[in-house]
Amino acid sequence: MLRHVFNKRLKYQKQNVEDKQNDMPSTIYTDIQANLDNIKRILNAPSDFIQRIFTISDSEKKCAIVCIDGLVDKDMINDQLIKNIQLGMQTAKKEVPASSDEILKKLKNEVLSTYELKIVDILDDVLLAILSGDTALFINGTDKVLLVGSKGWDSRGIDEPQTESLVRGPREGFTENIRTNTMLVRRQVKDPNLRLESSKVGRRSKRDLVVCYVEGIVHPDIVAEVNRRLKTIDIDEVAESGTIEQWIEDSSLSPFPQVLHTERPDKVASAILQGKVAILLDGTPFVLIAPTTFVSLFQSQEDYYERWIIGSLLRMLRYVAAFFAVFLPALYIALVSFHQGMIPSKLAFSIAGAREGVPFPAIIEALMMEATLELLREAGIRLPKPIGQTIGIVGGLVIGEAAVQAGIVSPVMIVAVAVTAISSFAIPSYGAGIAFRILRFGTMLAAGIFGLYGIILTYIMINIHITRLKSFGIPYSTPFAPMFYRDWKDVAIRAPITAISKRPQYMQTVDKTKIGKGDESS
Amino acid sequence: MKSFEYGDSEVGRKEVLAGVANMVIGFGVLTLPRTVANATHSIDGWISISLGGLSVIFFAGVLAKLISRFPKKNLHEFTSLIINKPIATILTFLFASYMMLFICYEMRVVAEISKLYLFDQTPTEVICFVFFLVTIYAVSGPSTVILRLNLLFMPIILFIIFLLIVMNIGFFEFKTTKPFFQTGWSGILRGSKETIFSFLGFETLLFYNSFINAPKNTVKFTIMGMSIPLLLYLLVFVFVVGVFGVEVAENTLYPTAELAKRVEIPGGFFERFESVFFTIWVVTLFSTASMAFDVTLLAFTSIFKKIKRMTFIFFLSPLIYIIAMSPQNFAETSIFGEWISYLGIGFSMFMPLLLLVIAMMRGVKGNG
Repeated sequence: MLRHVFNKRLKYQKQNVEDKQNDMPSTIYTDIQANLDNIKRILNAPSDFIQRIFTISDSEKKCAIVCIDGLVDKDMINDQLIKNIQLGMQTAKKEVPASSDEILKKLKNEVLSTYELKIVDILDDVLLAILSGDTALFINGTDKVLLVGSKGWDSRGIDEPQTESLVRGPREGFTENIRTNTMLVRRQVKDPNLRLESSKVGRRSKRDLVVCYVEGIVHPDIVAEVNRRLKTIDIDEVAESGTIEQWIEDSSLSPFPQVLHTERPDKVASAILQGKVAILLDGTPFVLIAPTTFVSLFQSQEDYYERWIIGSLLRMLRYVAAFFAVFLPALYIALVSFHQGMIPSKLAFSIAGAREGVPFPAIIEALMMEATLELLREAGIRLPKPIGQTIGIVGGLVIGEAAVQAGIVSPVMIVAVAVTAISSFAIPSYGAGIAFRILRFGTMLAAGIFGLYGIILTYIMINIHITRLKSFGIPYSTPFAPMFYRDWKDVAIRAPITAISKRPQYMQTVDKTKIGKGDESS
Repeated sequence: MKSFEYGDSEVGRKEVLAGVANMVIGFGVLTLPRTVANATHSIDGWISISLGGLSVIFFAGVLAKLISRFPKKNLHEFTSLIINKPIATILTFLFASYMMLFICYEMRVVAEISKLYLFDQTPTEVICFVFFLVTIYAVSGPSTVILRLNLLFMPIILFIIFLLIVMNIGFFEFKTTKPFFQTGWSGILRGSKETIFSFLGFETLLFYNSFINAPKNTVKFTIMGMSIPLLLYLLVFVFVVGVFGVEVAENTLYPTAELAKRVEIPGGFFERFESVFFTIWVVTLFSTASMAFDVTLLAFTSIFKKIKRMTFIFFLSPLIYIIAMSPQNFAETSIFGEWISYLGIGFSMFMPLLLLVIAMMRGVKGNG
């Protein structure tokens, strides 16, 4: 009974909303008051709604500005807009034309001293502009509206990137404001071929989205494919660039990220100069870079800033770290429970001695410790910073030490888990680090059942998966398979800057050379 | 979705090279020193290996010549052009069945070796089953992926063999290799016959031809690919004889494994190198098995165009598993392997030669 009433009520409300939406006239009237009423009704007269009606200069013409408080730059509206309209025509000794359309044109072309002006005649455009922080100017007697760019809200300043801090390199990071972000990219790349294609995304959230690439470098097919996939996005809210990433990625079942995200403008700049495409979204400092390959998960921007020997060694170190992060606990399990003969005898004795009191098989022991570690990590992120350190002490010292003392795990296991944890943090891409963490549990289980044989089969499966995976048509495993020898200079090692004279071959860039031949005459 | 230029359905010459090498290198390298030493009774086995290898390389060249005459066509398609469609269908069907038996053998061997060196209690059936699941996972994707995997696995395999050789340099004694040139011609020829078995596998190209994008280079890169196993076999044989002497080589089941046992990692980081060696060796056996399975599927789908690849995987897999499990012991497996090798000689050496001769006589060429 109650439900019946409730449903009825719901239905009624729904009906009401639909009615309201249906009889919303999308036309702009010539009468100014009718327009204001109409907009107020559509927006339901919110408290941050600002409207101001005044007359133009000394004429009798009425006009009105409409904007949303907080989204606009108030000083700009006062100084440039209202003042100019009220006084500007007089000081310029200009006649106020009789027709309203003429006034509008004159305002746009001669009077208003601001650069972002547009005349529109569709109400939806007006509404979207107002809600994005622009100001609409209505004049009595015309159905055209002048939109004045007046965006100006409080935003976070440019800060050091939180998730990708480097020892050496620029300290600037992207912010939540897309204008600031495009500015940061433009400042890195002053090429006239830099393209920033804007569009809106999200049926209701209507976020600004910018696709950024360098024409003449990037393969046109990649841009076309990125745009095609972006166009298919039909979702009410795009909360973060992660939403876009998940919508446009090739395989949603893969643990590996097929689109990189970064907070660093210098990383974006170098990616688009390699022939990749960057996707910027308003409201998030995380910029997407596509396509992505497996090896790019290991490349940190710092590799290029340090001298090449350091860069190369660090890169190799990361590959080793990835190997440890995925296979180390599994190897421990395999050796301890299947192939004890492979451990050197002295070490075997000490491991056996340490494991003597441990009641569990190695696989249980390892799973327990890894699960604890994942818990600690997750808890560490959630906790406020001052308490976060407590977790470190509780986790690292108390649990580690106490678990050994209690005879639940062996000390060797603690060492293995610790090395694994450190290794997984050495991967520059956070998403890749998570992928390796997931894979680790797979290899551990395989090792627990089949020992080394299980590990090698998992290894083969990971290889199959990576070779099969694609990111925007680019095979994930390139430049190893398909093979491009020349690109290895910037993959396994980081060759001296002067030696990497070409852009990556696997990106099939239009402009292939990175370093000029050098003019001998100069 | 529009595919990217090299992304989807083509492989280059490097994949041909690695694919051929990886397909050929397999189980053979483990037993080769024994079989050759049994025939020649001296270090002269290297002549047998070279002789056998070179003759197989000649036939591989013939096969490559044949397929490069018909770019982007597989066995079924070009045989229909050369002879006619019914015969092409019969040949392809036989070829597919041969490849299927080949996987069965390969799988069984993996299981036997793993049981010998990695496990002692796990039943062969289970070891084999897991391996087969991974193979099925591989073949359920596109063929180009399997060919590309070779590029990833090749360096690992060469590295482990290289390690095996380098670590044994200290044990190599020239004394044991002497005397030279003791074996008569009959012995050497018998040795070559044994060698030939270990060089089979390149016949997969008959179907992979439809993915090769540079037909001009096929002959060159096939021969280059074949010379990798030749060099490898020579090195391994010389080292086995050099380290252990001929008698030991003759009487050990897997002399190459003994070589691995000899290895001592400096610093005693870990022991029992042979376990590591076999673990890595699973990789090459896997590439051989997956390519064979893939070619089986390609062959069957080229005959029955309407049936999907996945349907074939679904119905062939249990069959393959049952056949693989049917030999009762190791001796039976060996006999099984021998029969498959004889079939292989027919399919990889005589059939392409015959087809090439007929194609040349009739002047048939692909329209590529």
